[in-house]
Amino acid sequence: MNNLKGDRNLYIAALLLCLALFASCTAEKESMYKKSRMLMDTFVTITVVSGSADEADEAIEKAFSSIERFGGLINFFSDKSEVAEINRKAGMSAVKVSPATIDIVERAVYVAAKSGGAFDPTVGPVTKLWDFTKKKKPSGVRIRNNLRLVNYKNIIIDRDRQTVFLKEKDMLLDLGGIAKGYAADLAVINLQGNGIKSGLVAVAGDIRAFGSRPDGGEWKIGVKNPRQKNGSDEIIARISLSNKAVSTSGDYERYFFINGRRFHHLLDPKTGYPAECCRSVSMIADEGVFADGFSTAVFILGPEKGLGLVQSLGMDAIIIDNNGKIHATPGLEGRFEIEENH
Amino acid sequence: MRRRALKEDLRLKKIIKNITLADWTLLLVLLVVSVAGIFITKEALPRGTDVTIEINGEPAYTFPLNVDRTIPVSGSYGDTLIEIKEGRVRIREAHCPNRICVKQGWVSKGVIICLPNKILVIVGSGGGDKPGKEIDAVTG
Repeated sequence: MNNLKGDRNLYIAALLLCLALFASCTAEKESMYKKSRMLMDTFVTITVVSGSADEADEAIEKAFSSIERFGGLINFFSDKSEVAEINRKAGMSAVKVSPATIDIVERAVYVAAKSGGAFDPTVGPVTKLWDFTKKKKPSGVRIRNNLRLVNYKNIIIDRDRQTVFLKEKDMLLDLGGIAKGYAADLAVINLQGNGIKSGLVAVAGDIRAFGSRPDGGEWKIGVKNPRQKNGSDEIIARISLSNKAVSTSGDYERYFFINGRRFHHLLDPKTGYPAECCRSVSMIADEGVFADGFSTAVFILGPEKGLGLVQSLGMDAIIIDNNGKIHATPGLEGRFEIEENH
Repeated sequence: MRRRALKEDLRLKKIIKNITLADWTLLLVLLVVSVAGIFITKEALPRGTDVTIEINGEPAYTFPLNVDRTIPVSGSYGDTLIEIKEGRVRIREAHCPNRICVKQGWVSKGVIICLPNKILVIVGSGGGDKPGKEIDAVTG
């Protein structure tokens, strides 16, 4: 009898152990939650690592809203945006704007100054002469005329009064070359404020990563092949990142051909014509706004001058030049891998 | 014949009578393990065989990739025809200005995007790759 009782206790213990094992399997585990939304005329995808689907969903929705609000302020094509108001009042009066607008205009001017005008947020009067969907190349005279309006030094920011003023009439401020990176920064701040420790925000190809993947590893970012031929060579390289932003400027986004020559949307603010030294530039920086702005600047400057600028800024870059050669800064060693099919 | 059946019956009764607590425990453990197995395999298996269609950023449909079908989806530029055939998917017809989505052709992994119509077609996990080689996002 006694023996039987002992056996019974042993079985109950074994049963409890099994149940405990099963319970540990189903315990709340951190996983990745991903959502996409059309914002700022592009696809925005936010991935977060969280132990709860509800928490992840709520944080992602709030981050989407922060991008949407910001997009409304700086939309070049909407009459209601603050940027449109700044452009309407060009040469006339300063315009009072929200702190986020002041902030991004300051950063745009900083990138322009650091790159010696290779990136210029006032290139708009020249850009609008080109039509990449209708394959329209403007005449040299019209380009030269409008180039006179391109000069970031004529953007006057008054921090105290919270105003922005364009000195010359018909000048155009276009933050499109920097806004998506800035939006990724905003979303990351928003996610962190809502308790998210790790995640990835991709505003089209402008990406900012923070924390690590659920498996503890770094985030893996593919770099698009600028001369993709088929479905199997879409990615030319991979970078592993944590707490960094990456943006790419490429000549394959908007372009047309005339007599075999490629005309693309990355115009040199000094000449008004597309810069021809690179196929693509991927810039890695701490903040999305700088990755975005400097990727354009380095593209315009070309591999040699561009790499000089990247290193003087203490950032990293992958430059694919017009011969297809891949240049990477030493800082990327060990976290950068070229695909086998190249 | 009848005697034989009776004998079988007696044998079964004997077995049931001899079932110990250990047998019940074993049965319960097996049950728990098999139910857990359903959830574990569901989590562990890669899901690269579905086509998800998102409209305006919201998931609208999910179809298996191995069943051929054509799906009309309405957007800002009228109906867009999405075709699933032989394990691949394409946008067969669209009325957006540039038709970049149509030109992209057949896709068996990754994403087709139609910006003007705000339609996103995702195959599997959206860029699913070999294990360990997967990419979280693409820049460019």
